[in-house]
Amino acid sequence: MQRRYRTIPDLKINESACTISISDAALACKLTAMGVLPGTRIEMVRTSPFGNAYYIKVDGVRIALREEEAASILLEI
Amino acid sequence: MMQQEEDRTPRVALVGNPNSGKSTVFNLLTGLRQQTGNFPGVTVEIKKGRMRFPSGKEATLIDFPGTYSLYPTSSDEKLVAAVMCDPQNPFFPDALIYIADVTHLERHLLLLTQLLDLHLPVILALNMSDTALEMGIKVNTAKLIERLGIPVISISGRKEDNIQKLLSEVEKTLKNPIRTAENVFFYKLSDGEKQIADAVRHNLGIDNPYRALLLVHHRDWLPFLQPQQREILGTIAETKDFQSLRAQVDETLDRFDRFVPIVRDAIQQPPVFPSTATDRIDAVLTHRWWGPFIFVAVMLLIFQAIFDWSGYPMDAIENGFGILSDGVQSTLGEGWFTELLTDGILAGLSGILVFVPQIALLFLLIAILEEVGYMARVVFMFDKTMRRFGMNGRSVISLISGSACAVPAIMSSRTIGNWQERLITVMVTPFISCSARIPVYLVLIGLAVPAVKVAGILSAQTLVFGSMYALGVVAALLSGWAMKKWLRTREPSFLAIELPEYRMPHWKNVWLSVWEKVVAFVSGAGKIILVVSIVLWALSRYGPGDSIALATEQAHTEAIAMRLDSNQTEDFVQQRRLEASFAGKMGKSFEPLIRPLGYDWKIGIALLTSFAAREVFTGTLAVLYNMGSEEGDINNRDENEAKATLRSKMKTETFSDTGKPVYSLATAMSLLVFYALAMQCFSTLAVVRRETGGWKWAALQFFAMSLLAYFGAWAVYEIFS
Repeated sequence: MQRRYRTIPDLKINESACTISISDAALACKLTAMGVLPGTRIEMVRTSPFGNAYYIKVDGVRIALREEEAASILLEI
Repeated sequence: MMQQEEDRTPRVALVGNPNSGKSTVFNLLTGLRQQTGNFPGVTVEIKKGRMRFPSGKEATLIDFPGTYSLYPTSSDEKLVAAVMCDPQNPFFPDALIYIADVTHLERHLLLLTQLLDLHLPVILALNMSDTALEMGIKVNTAKLIERLGIPVISISGRKEDNIQKLLSEVEKTLKNPIRTAENVFFYKLSDGEKQIADAVRHNLGIDNPYRALLLVHHRDWLPFLQPQQREILGTIAETKDFQSLRAQVDETLDRFDRFVPIVRDAIQQPPVFPSTATDRIDAVLTHRWWGPFIFVAVMLLIFQAIFDWSGYPMDAIENGFGILSDGVQSTLGEGWFTELLTDGILAGLSGILVFVPQIALLFLLIAILEEVGYMARVVFMFDKTMRRFGMNGRSVISLISGSACAVPAIMSSRTIGNWQERLITVMVTPFISCSARIPVYLVLIGLAVPAVKVAGILSAQTLVFGSMYALGVVAALLSGWAMKKWLRTREPSFLAIELPEYRMPHWKNVWLSVWEKVVAFVSGAGKIILVVSIVLWALSRYGPGDSIALATEQAHTEAIAMRLDSNQTEDFVQQRRLEASFAGKMGKSFEPLIRPLGYDWKIGIALLTSFAAREVFTGTLAVLYNMGSEEGDINNRDENEAKATLRSKMKTETFSDTGKPVYSLATAMSLLVFYALAMQCFSTLAVVRRETGGWKWAALQFFAMSLLAYFGAWAVYEIFS
């Protein structure tokens, strides 16, 4: 079945998309408190030098996320 | 008495999100009138300072760790929830200053609304108003005051704008606290949450429904709860089928839904975020290839700077103590009290203070990197690498700090949320070669490694010195890896870190950070070094029964028979006295154990004494190789001269039974490895005990590191001999 969402690792550099929800409850807690809310636009800036971490921008705030953290944020297609 | 005094000075809490500029405001309000104290129940230190109001009255300002909400993910964040939920807590504030970054106000008010629902008297300080002005953001404070129902003031910590106004507002609030009305809440509890809050009020008598709810959320770890209370809260959660995480997310989203419109209404020109200098800098500093390359270059530069610059103040301190010691000797004359002063106390003090320049310089450079915002990028770049070794990107900061002194380095691990990752960081940080190991390395390398060039460029001595650092790093990473395999917890681990805008360092923050670290070293490690120095002096001066007197007499007779001149006689007698002392006896009984590593009893004494603090090593050897009479103590002579004397003495040492020289290349290499790996610092163990909440991990660290050092040194001795 075709997925109805994308996640940050699917984004190309400089591409952005709106968040739908966060799939992991513990992460959702942490990320929503940091302002990563459903409906906010996330821009992918770059991946870390050794991979496995993402540098993103949310409303002008720069945040670094791990692969699992980034993959738990469901984005619109 | 204490309690009454506490009551008279009002307490003000400083709270806010990370990167809100909170610490700048704290430093501004308190200056050097700061102190850290242990927080009861949680192993976190809390920073307090005195603030003075325009009226001349004073209050205690408590700096709480930056956090996004009352649902914490690390032990320093837990502190905020633990205090705010507990009116009986000695840190529970009479008023709060909430610092928010006005340029990102839409994401800085979550915690504020939570605190308001606890009905605490809060003053909102909109920080970075100067930057907002530059960005063209106009804030209608009157509207915020009206909608939030609390005092709101625009300030700038960096420009020191409106600080007096903030102070008088705080004083006003202390006199006449404005609390949200009892029945007004920012967040409307869901029906299920209401039932839970009712049940908690009924059972535990907690009237504030939001506080009741927080107690249920945090029932497993809040330090002030009694076991019985925990049980009651657990039963309530169970019968009402309370899903803590789900409820936290729903509450957070609801709060955002409520305060974002208020912020949008009050901010006349919503901020746009154009591509800034930070983006351009990060394009290089966090680049796939350039990023790690620049990091390594920065580290090398830092260490180069330390070795190049800290030599001068270190020499000055040693020379100063030499002069002082000579002065004491000439004014007081000879005797045990003079010896205690010069060889015990002054030598100990000099041994502590001599490390201050190096530690201060390293922490200065680290503080600058942290202040400009570079450290967050390092965390981002090396998270994966560190996770492979059971740690977290944040561990890099602890490990780098460990190259100055493990005591403050271990304390900096508190930002790591995951207990296992934090524990591993605490356990392996002492492997990093700290500044106290440097003099040991220098003496041993100077003694055993020839001053030749390898491959025509690198000096062999530098190479060995560098490999000692590398050995520390490798040992730290490998033991992290081993611990990760051994411990397996399923506690969630987060990276999720904000990468702040690059900015010029705020020098006041930098200086205070350096000051704090140096104080941590002097009061933590320093006290122990001083005590060891005094104990060592006593052990080497006194012996069991009349053994010292006998040895002296015998030595004199032998010296006459050998026709030694007066200086030689004095040296010879001192050596014999030492052999007969408690220290000598201890070293001798210790010798069989360390013989496989290539050490004699004198090294044994030095090892024994440096188990409390490794910097004692060179000093001990100086005493043991009898430098007292002619050449002077290593601490009070020109450094190089004294070290050269020590080296020449060490070179002529032979094993008493075999007659072979003690300091072969093999012995020196073995000692180097031993010092690189062994846990020889009481102060570190004390900090580990405090940070891990018991002796268990400290003891494990001590035995594991010592065993590794012993067998490592053995192996190296076998290879080189």
